[in-house]
Amino acid sequence: MTSKDSIQEAAGRIRAGYETGTPCEPVRELLDDGDIDGAYDIQEAVTVWRLETGARLVGRKIGLTSVVVQTQLGVDQPDYGMLFDDMAVPDGEEIPLGRVLQPRVEAEVAYVLEDDLIDERPTTAQVMSAVAYASPAIEVVGSRIKDWNITILDTIADNASSGLYVLGNDKVPIEAFDGRMCGMVMENRGEPTAVGAGAACLGHPINAVRWLAEVMVARGRPLMAGDVVMSGALGPMVAVTPGEVYEARISGLGSVRAVFGA
Amino acid sequence: MATDIKKLAEIVDTAAIEATAIPQLSQSHSFTLDEAYDIQAEMINRRLVRGEVRVGMKMGFTSRAKMIQMGVDDMIWGRLTDGGVISLRDYVHPRVEPEVAFLLKKPLTGPTTPMQAMAAVEAIAPALEIIDSRYEAFKFNVQDVVADNASSTGFVIGPWCPPDTDLDNLGGIMEFNGRPVQIGSTAAILGHPGRSLAAASRMTAEEGETLEVGWIVMAGGVTEASPLSAGISVRNSVEGLGSVGFKVVE
Repeated sequence: MTSKDSIQEAAGRIRAGYETGTPCEPVRELLDDGDIDGAYDIQEAVTVWRLETGARLVGRKIGLTSVVVQTQLGVDQPDYGMLFDDMAVPDGEEIPLGRVLQPRVEAEVAYVLEDDLIDERPTTAQVMSAVAYASPAIEVVGSRIKDWNITILDTIADNASSGLYVLGNDKVPIEAFDGRMCGMVMENRGEPTAVGAGAACLGHPINAVRWLAEVMVARGRPLMAGDVVMSGALGPMVAVTPGEVYEARISGLGSVRAVFGA
Repeated sequence: MATDIKKLAEIVDTAAIEATAIPQLSQSHSFTLDEAYDIQAEMINRRLVRGEVRVGMKMGFTSRAKMIQMGVDDMIWGRLTDGGVISLRDYVHPRVEPEVAFLLKKPLTGPTTPMQAMAAVEAIAPALEIIDSRYEAFKFNVQDVVADNASSTGFVIGPWCPPDTDLDNLGGIMEFNGRPVQIGSTAAILGHPGRSLAAASRMTAEEGETLEVGWIVMAGGVTEASPLSAGISVRNSVEGLGSVGFKVVE
């Protein structure tokens, strides 16, 4: 098991990445090989620091929901990170350059909950009943680790590489769109830069939320009413160019824009 | 020296009939893109002489990524005929690509807008295109692939639907034996398949052809193609349009 000192040292490195705005070295060598629990312990240490310094927990993000990406990183399950209140960006509001280190964008379905999910093994039916509505969303991922030089351990420790998230202003009941078949296109200057469909996220985005609900109970931070869940990318990630606008459209869900300052 | 259109057309046609890979034509002959379309037309003539019937046309390179990869700034097109029985033995190294197809109720010719082009559409359908390059290792430049009828080989059309669905962002899932192998959106086709249809009208007119009433136009790939092998059951589902499939045998 990775020592407490190593966990704290790794968490300190990532904290410094946030505080100085300078990416840090990877933290994987501070962990035992394949110690995913230890990586989540690092993430939790940074979460505690964020909460103690005034941030409010408003949701979660799910990452590694594509089979292709899982294979690339040599894992067989998704990962998760925390969403804090200061990570929420209104649709179309300009994101100043440097707000996120090494930003990339991906289009996702966001679910907003109206019930707590506190059972140890929640079913898909329970999860669907707990969802108030869905919205189109763009996640701005970023890495505190220099040059995105990450393994699965680094990204988990670094809050699953989360940065900011933009929710569209459409509140759509989940029965009003086809979560599996819905087309996704993200455009930049009128050109499609990423395309995909709902099935790219674990076959159906709600499957990812069910996975998360179970894991969060086990980790002691269950999903609660009001939480936003960014369920995972529906297509490839796109590297951000300063000054550009990225608009994602998800069939049946509407559209959302991430606007970047130059 | 003038390009021997007839001879090159015979080489490609024979390769298709015999399901045998050949070296790229461009390695032994130098010819322009215009001449490549002449070779294609001559090769199709050989099929028509054998009794096949012209039923439509297909678009290729309709995604920006593919154009950049091939170093070209326009799409390519090929001619669809009704010939050929689908069996793995008839192909060199077949791949399958999920697509959407248009059925025309009005002729289209010359430059047109996507809106005008869509007004000529009777119905739309999910479709699968079998593509098979007659060139070794599926390697070619743009002249080679045009001379080889844009790799066109076979196609299967699903249920025809009224053209009132907004086509710009329909999810598409292609499955092999029930497992997704390609996931994308019709937005991959130039942002909207109607743009591909408008381009089809423009590009065929440059060769003196008209898109006829009752023709099928294959608009381009919703995703990349995947290689076929025996025993696979292929299905393409397109959001709101239903699905289409076939089975691959030896």
